[in-house]
Amino acid sequence: MSLDTRARQHNARPRIHPNYPRRMRLADTLQILAVVSVALVVAVFLADGGAARISTPADAITALGIVTGLVGTDLLLVMMLLAARLPAIDRAFGHDSAMALHQSLGKPALYLILAHAVLLTIGYALVQPAGFFDEVWIMFTSLPDMPLAFLGLGLLIAVVVTSLVIVRHKFRYEVWHLVHLLSYVAVLVAIPHQLSVGTLFREGSLQRYYWLALYAGVAGSIILFRFIVPIVRSLRARLTVVGVDQEARGVVSIRLSGRQLRSLKAKSGQFFIWRFWTPGLWWQAHPFSLSAAPTHNSLRITVRGLGDASSTLPRLPVGTRVSFEGPYGLFTDFARTSPRIVLIAAGIGVAPIRSLLETATFAPGQATVLLRSSTVDDTYLVEELAALCRARGAELRIIAGKRAPGTSSWLPGDAVRARITLATLVPKLREADVYICGPRKWTDEVVRDARSAGLPTRQIHFERFDW
Amino acid sequence: MRKRAAAAAATASLSVLAIGWAVGSPAVASLQNTLGAALTDATTSAAAPAVVASTPTATATAAAAASTAASTATATPTAPATTAPAATTTGITGTFTGSVVATRFGNMQVSVTLADGTITDVTALQLTDKDSRSVQISNRAAPVLKTEVLKAQSAAVANVSGATYTTQGYLTSLQAALDAAGF
Repeated sequence: MSLDTRARQHNARPRIHPNYPRRMRLADTLQILAVVSVALVVAVFLADGGAARISTPADAITALGIVTGLVGTDLLLVMMLLAARLPAIDRAFGHDSAMALHQSLGKPALYLILAHAVLLTIGYALVQPAGFFDEVWIMFTSLPDMPLAFLGLGLLIAVVVTSLVIVRHKFRYEVWHLVHLLSYVAVLVAIPHQLSVGTLFREGSLQRYYWLALYAGVAGSIILFRFIVPIVRSLRARLTVVGVDQEARGVVSIRLSGRQLRSLKAKSGQFFIWRFWTPGLWWQAHPFSLSAAPTHNSLRITVRGLGDASSTLPRLPVGTRVSFEGPYGLFTDFARTSPRIVLIAAGIGVAPIRSLLETATFAPGQATVLLRSSTVDDTYLVEELAALCRARGAELRIIAGKRAPGTSSWLPGDAVRARITLATLVPKLREADVYICGPRKWTDEVVRDARSAGLPTRQIHFERFDW
Repeated sequence: MRKRAAAAAATASLSVLAIGWAVGSPAVASLQNTLGAALTDATTSAAAPAVVASTPTATATAAAAASTAASTATATPTAPATTAPAATTTGITGTFTGSVVATRFGNMQVSVTLADGTITDVTALQLTDKDSRSVQISNRAAPVLKTEVLKAQSAAVANVSGATYTTQGYLTSLQAALDAAGF
């Protein structure tokens, strides 16, 4: 039976949601722009006769040093744009993918900047002639704005090293975040030496204006979308806590009330970065997903007390002012490509799944909700999910049981032994969009299962939050 | 990244690079021409009779074209020749002062000594002195430039890394002096 069905399913082309081609065109455009921006800085170097100055090995090393610096800096600017919460980037890639791309660019950018420093030192040292470390000292003392540039390099190394995943878990989020903010300083202090050492960006030249315009564009985006927009939105929305409901041990739903919330254009499944203005919490910001569809005057999040701050949230007094950044993320119905939908949640990942279930587009019988937990008791919002599933004609399955030790499956050990997979759990899986929210490792395993069932990337949606 | 997007990005990038190269290659060609011409001049001028020394309008534009990159330094030609060239049958002899070239790190001015059509000495009359670092840079670069100029027998020498402004000012002023000498 399964063979026949699969063959038919394989040939049946799922109806593509009209948003998808538009979203991909935007994603393509942004990616092409990013790649071309790298080519453009190299082209600027060539157009200025950069290749003309190469006549000795020292010149070649120096030229290569300049190019690595240009490309590395361009990548840094692209990284900063990726983290600037640009609406176009969030709409095209989603916050999670954008941040993954941001992360993956970190090391290449650092290596290029390091190569820039090393190659130029060698190139200059050969001309001088001087030893490598003597040349470093000469550059430090005799070239304009070089002490600042060295400072920038040091900061950049510190930022990338603390950002590496292993190190990150040793720090508190706030400490890591503070160190990360130094990357802005690193980028800023590197500007003077770009303008004063070397002639590429000399005064009055066209490329100087282009380069400065790049910086201005990135700085403007960061200031606008990370500071001004959130502040204006928070002031306009005037969100306050109107209720804190105990859902389970350590899990609370926080109900918020505000005004003009329609203008946020928030969608079910999205998250905000919240700041609760109480004496102990105002200095921390936390990403939490909406656990109910947003209305014109109310929002709701569901939170489990994992971190040190989350554990004080159950005692949040009613009336607390709340500011926020967001909404962010593509874990929404906007990303749909197929008529059917499968919602898979583990732990507190149920929050965005719950809000998606409320408003996602599907006909009765076209949706499946899979709730995964170790025991039946540690599931949250189950009654709400069951009620929604009844009302909307969705199937709800709770899959409880411990994972077999040593295996890498998102399913319980006995399910693995019975050869149960996502494909056998969900009928017509290939005509469905799969939404997955849960702990990082577990999410990866579900994604792997979905891929091996033959689902294309566009039908797999997941949003992982790190803290 | 989808294949189509990757292809488009690659095409666009290569086009941009090609345009950059095309714009930049005249600079490569002109540098090579300058170097070639400078060498020819150096060899032929010795044999040729002394060319007019009565063109004291040593303009910075000619000098800027000869220097490695289009200079932002605005040259202000001042009394270019202090010593009248003593024309001999074989070549130019005498000391000629170049124009003062203003750079963002201070003014630059050099004088050149010619003996029988050969550059025998370059003296820096004024070096960038806006601050201590500028002084350090130009003090480091000036001897390098002098050696290079004596070797190349022209103002068409490579940029001294890390002393770009000094190089430009130095060579611009030098070219003005050489023009004044009719070198």
